[in-house]
Amino acid sequence: MPGSLHMSRLRNWFLASPPVEYAINSLKELLIGALQQGPVPQHVAFVMDGNRRFARSHGIETVEGHHLGFEALARVSGYTFEAPALHGKRPYSLWLPILTTDKILEVCYKSGVQVVTIYAFSIENFKRSKFEVDALMEMAKVKLSQMAQHGDLLDQYGAKVRVLGRLDLLKPDVLEAVNRAVDLTSRNGDRVLNICFPYTSRDEITSAIRDTISDYSTPIQQSRSAAAASRTPFSESHIVHHIRTQTLGSKTHDSNSDTESTSSSSAQDEDSFSRNGRSNRVYESGSSFSSSTTLHLGGQQDPKDSPPRPANESDSPVYLSPETISRQTLDDRMLTKDTPPLDILVRTSGVERLSDFMLWQAHENTEIVFLNVMWPEFDLWHFLPVMLGWQRRISKSRQDPNAEGNFAGDDESSGDDLETMLLRQGGKLKDI
Amino acid sequence: MVSQRDRDILREDLRARGTKLNAAEREALLKTYLPDPAVLPSKPARSRASTASSERRKTPRKKPIRAFLKSQLHHLTYALTHIIFGIVVRLLQAYHAVVDRIFAIVYHHHRTPELIRKDVRGLKRLPQHLSTILTLRKEDDALAALMDEVAELAAWSSCAGIPQLSVYEKTGTLKSCIPALHQIITTKLASYYGTPSQQPNLQLFAPHHPVYHAENAFRPDNPTLTILLLSSTDGRETIVDLTKTLAEMSQNGKLSPDDITQELVDAEISEITSQPLALDPSSRDTVLKPEPDLLLVFGPFLKLDGYPPWQIRLTEMYCTGQRSHGLAGDGEAVEYQGYMRGLWHFAGAQMRFGR
Repeated sequence: MPGSLHMSRLRNWFLASPPVEYAINSLKELLIGALQQGPVPQHVAFVMDGNRRFARSHGIETVEGHHLGFEALARVSGYTFEAPALHGKRPYSLWLPILTTDKILEVCYKSGVQVVTIYAFSIENFKRSKFEVDALMEMAKVKLSQMAQHGDLLDQYGAKVRVLGRLDLLKPDVLEAVNRAVDLTSRNGDRVLNICFPYTSRDEITSAIRDTISDYSTPIQQSRSAAAASRTPFSESHIVHHIRTQTLGSKTHDSNSDTESTSSSSAQDEDSFSRNGRSNRVYESGSSFSSSTTLHLGGQQDPKDSPPRPANESDSPVYLSPETISRQTLDDRMLTKDTPPLDILVRTSGVERLSDFMLWQAHENTEIVFLNVMWPEFDLWHFLPVMLGWQRRISKSRQDPNAEGNFAGDDESSGDDLETMLLRQGGKLKDI
Repeated sequence: MVSQRDRDILREDLRARGTKLNAAEREALLKTYLPDPAVLPSKPARSRASTASSERRKTPRKKPIRAFLKSQLHHLTYALTHIIFGIVVRLLQAYHAVVDRIFAIVYHHHRTPELIRKDVRGLKRLPQHLSTILTLRKEDDALAALMDEVAELAAWSSCAGIPQLSVYEKTGTLKSCIPALHQIITTKLASYYGTPSQQPNLQLFAPHHPVYHAENAFRPDNPTLTILLLSSTDGRETIVDLTKTLAEMSQNGKLSPDDITQELVDAEISEITSQPLALDPSSRDTVLKPEPDLLLVFGPFLKLDGYPPWQIRLTEMYCTGQRSHGLAGDGEAVEYQGYMRGLWHFAGAQMRFGR
């Protein structure tokens, strides 16, 4: 053991000597620059795993192992602030409010990755000892408030920090620190760092379902919800207005269409009778009979104007049709909304499961990579084959149009970059 | 990147919970490593205290030649890296192809359940519910090949003593021919086990399909193999469908959004894949375990390809083609040695030459 320690010290000394350090850094810069020439994944996620095992196998203190583990992600370098690694039984107990990073985050952002998502703390981790959880929270708070002290630096170099998860489970003081850090960085550039803290994927999916349902069970007001309005190129209010004027003009009554509508919807609407008296709840669209607009007419309408459209009265609440719920609806309510689809998910330390991380996001075209290295050892040299493999696969699938491949290539991304740059320039001009 | 000395200082600071240095000191320490604001493309240069950077800003020299050379260098490096990487990948592929062939010879099962049982005997644990991702190829006889693969997997699983097998195939063609598939698997099992009296009981089902099993052929003494067929509609679509149903109920006032918990969703999603199996009500395993223990991906790299997301929270994943960064195209062949390697990997064991 002392021999190997000596050797590693010698090695560290050698690697830390200025010329070698310079050469290695130049090589890294070159490789990162080269990576940029090909397709670059837009969204990469990491599960940081293996700090404790690394510490044990190297005969160092566990806490020290976590420090090293943290540094692997976010050493103070480039444009980075160091944040602490916290120890714990679960692999993703690392917590880190970083802006951009050294090893991995820096590699990602420099090579053009837009979004990096990391698993910092699982909801399950709250089941651990109070001491441990408290220590973690304390660390988080310290780092976040430190970040707040560097506000102007963040503005210039930082990525946008977002904290995904059940923030309501946090203590008020930690929550405050989180909010401040998120606020501070919210106006930053297009790079995004998602910190999943406290997070589980099942909880995320459940919340998305719950949000969808509470949105859909809010009656639509006369002013339609934006979602509904954007779905049709026509202005609903205009149509309503038009029909209303016509109805006022020709006061014909037709009750047939009315009964038609109630007969088909009454089965499911039995319960609403008590509340609304009449079962004339009509869905927005999509269901077997109803049209895409629901009319709030005072009286009846002329059947000639809208033959397939059932007439209805407006006193009862009108909901969006559940039939319009799609994957996109849920996607929009996931915590990772507005981010590009996940391209690569990396988990270190050779544990080969997702452990409740990014289940929804990783389920389609994401390349999942399990690496047999401990997180503290993970650096560009381990990440490079992953990136190269991905680039190779994407290039292949691009050459072969039959092969599937849902990705954002360099052409598109550079176009996007240009566009965002132009937009930002425009914003600046406006500011001036 | 950061020099060792500065790194140590910051590490010290960290250990002291950020009390050792104040904000200004930390910034001063970092300043040397921050790129010149002028080179950041997206942000305007702001006034900085550093004289060096402000001097540089006064003379904003454009360096088109240098930039051009740099981009050319990057292009060259990109090409070179990919050539080298490609060669390495090819070499690895060749190596693994050879190793795989050797494994395939050494671990040939000869369609004897005893040999397969012997292969798994030393393993510490076996998955109770094994799941696989298969791909439908593009050839004419793709469906027949796929069904044969399922039959092989079923035979291996039953020989190895895995009671539950689920097969994911994106398009869901398998679901439309359950009786035919049952017939093929039965034939396959017969070729492994011989007489029907030794064959395991086979039952086959898919979500929203009734359990299919051979009539009056139940042999209570033999183990039962349950096969579940999945497709991409059982993934996100199922969650969407559940949301629709819940939304409808909520609109009708039957439940409030607060009633929706993780447990409720879990129960509902699990229910779809774990319908009570009518075949043997006395048995303990009448309900399919909803979460697979092991997911075997027969493909060049690990991609879930629409596999139901809810169930795989704690599932271990193993990709048979992963070692070779396989670029073989549509999918790896479903081979016994790959299957075995997955089981060994799950048990934390290494396969060796010679059984």
